[in-house]
Amino acid sequence: MLRNTERREYAVMLAPYVIGIAVLIVIPAAITFGFALTEYDLIRSPRFIGLDNFRELWGDDVFHIAMKNSLMFIAFAVPLRLLGAVALALLLHKRFRGVAAYRTAGYLPTVVPDVAYALLWLWIFNPLYGPLNLALSGLGGPTPSWLTDPRAAQWAVIIMSLFTIGEGFIVAMATRQGIPSELYELGDIEGARPHFMFLRITLPLMAPTLLLLMFRDTIFSFQANFVPALIVTEGGPAPYATTYVPLFIYRNGFEYLRYGYASAATLTMFLATALIIYLQYRIVKRWRHAFVV
Amino acid sequence: MAELRFAGVRKDYGSIRALRGLDLDVADGELIVLVGPSGSGKSTALRAAAGLEDVTEGTIHIGARDVTRVPPAGRNISMVFQSYALFPHLTVAENIGFGLRARGVARVEAAGRVETAAKVVGCGELLERRPFELSGGERQRVALARALVREPDVFLLDEPLSNLDAQLRVHMRAELKRLHQRLEATMIYVTHDQVEALTLGDRVAVLRDGELQQLGPPDEIYRRPGNRFVAHFIGSPAMNFFPGVVHDGVLRAGPFEFSPVPGNGSLRDRQLEAGIRPEHVRVAPEAPGSPAEVQVLEVAGSETYVHLSANGDTLVARVPSQLRPEIGSTVWLSADADHLYLFDASTGDSLG
Repeated sequence: MLRNTERREYAVMLAPYVIGIAVLIVIPAAITFGFALTEYDLIRSPRFIGLDNFRELWGDDVFHIAMKNSLMFIAFAVPLRLLGAVALALLLHKRFRGVAAYRTAGYLPTVVPDVAYALLWLWIFNPLYGPLNLALSGLGGPTPSWLTDPRAAQWAVIIMSLFTIGEGFIVAMATRQGIPSELYELGDIEGARPHFMFLRITLPLMAPTLLLLMFRDTIFSFQANFVPALIVTEGGPAPYATTYVPLFIYRNGFEYLRYGYASAATLTMFLATALIIYLQYRIVKRWRHAFVV
Repeated sequence: MAELRFAGVRKDYGSIRALRGLDLDVADGELIVLVGPSGSGKSTALRAAAGLEDVTEGTIHIGARDVTRVPPAGRNISMVFQSYALFPHLTVAENIGFGLRARGVARVEAAGRVETAAKVVGCGELLERRPFELSGGERQRVALARALVREPDVFLLDEPLSNLDAQLRVHMRAELKRLHQRLEATMIYVTHDQVEALTLGDRVAVLRDGELQQLGPPDEIYRRPGNRFVAHFIGSPAMNFFPGVVHDGVLRAGPFEFSPVPGNGSLRDRQLEAGIRPEHVRVAPEAPGSPAEVQVLEVAGSETYVHLSANGDTLVARVPSQLRPEIGSTVWLSADADHLYLFDASTGDSLG
């Protein structure tokens, strides 16, 4: 049992976090959920309309496209980002000359401000003078119209997301470095080949961390395409090739001033995220036993 | 099983020389213990035998095969690590069978061999558990079972008991010895614990700074140390050392005097260092002998270690537990010339 003075001390120490989380997250989230049941345009006071916003979302083709785009983005971006982070971690976890420079290079894109990063890619993807198409044509490859072809634009947003994997890379690298070297030495002595070691030692021992990264990246990826979609592709090419749920919410809220409707979309996105995380968890739980030697 | 031979094995890490030309033959079925302080090169030698370290110079043979440049998997050895190196995500059975599965042995055959190996070391009832559910001693057994399931030519054991508590260590030491007698396997055992070295080894190799100091049966290492380092390192409490001076037909070494001088006059012009083991120091409440003051008593059950000061020299005597001199009291010391070890003061070589 805590004494009263201890209780007071804990309360004082926790207060900044509790107040911060309440004011910045919990209360706005609660208000958002409240707005989802209203019609609100910032000028007139909110008007309660029950589940009408959700009914409208259900029949809104643009929202359907946005949700489909978001799900497709997650389906490709999350595995590729995870793969990239793990590959970088496995390449760079050992010490060798110049490794610090490579690690920094791996992490650097993550700390570039979103807008600057998006503007940089606007130049990279430029079909006429962008370095990407210059390189591709130099190699004799295809030179897609990155930002005007719907399919290419969707890939462009995915490609952009593949270089901001710094945090995942660092976490995966720390995890790999935490695996005792004796386990690999034992593998060497026992005649395990590299792929056997990867599947039976590295992957299972990194799995809990990778799982965490996957969950985290799924949540992140639902939201991460907002800036590129707004700045690089502007939600297009027409009609809505790169309109993802966050951009849909932004447009409804801040351009069409439909706060209630945007809140309902936000709540739907929140529920969709939770559902995906739950499904991933279920799949992983079943799949775990595949690791047994 | 097979013999293992180091011939002129040198290992450099940059400018640091970890092994300086090690020559060592381990006979077929022999248990040899490499013992030495930290940095003596004992673990390096073991890792070189395993193929986990490349050697800078020299050769390593297992049986008739030169394995110096053969990767670890091709040497048919197995190793027990100090940390046991058990896979936390695998069951005991999967851990023991890891090497078999890695080499493509069929699941059913592997399961049978795993069971047999587990029974040999007494962990047959643990097969379905995971390492975190095991005690230190049980983990040790699992690591041993994994080492022997493949029936390797040579077993390499790297301080396998040092993570166990004292009581369990003594127990496992005896079990390991029994296992060796039963399997008649060639084993190299690395430890920094000289008691473990003496009790386990058919022969003991004492290393220091990457050099072999002495190789021989435990008894010989203890009774006839080849140099001052071995004399000091082997034995607990450690041997007492004093500068030795020969004058007028008498050898003086700390509080002790010996006449006639051993060695037929050959010691007359040498710088000497004399050593006497604590159990060979006689402690009496009365003269004859040289007086010494009792400073500290360490009671160790069946015996007592008496720390003494005599004319500026300090020494330890090992006496029966019933003898309990008071701290600060004066006792009288003597020793037999038969139990005197003499070393060259500059080289440390034995003159015995």
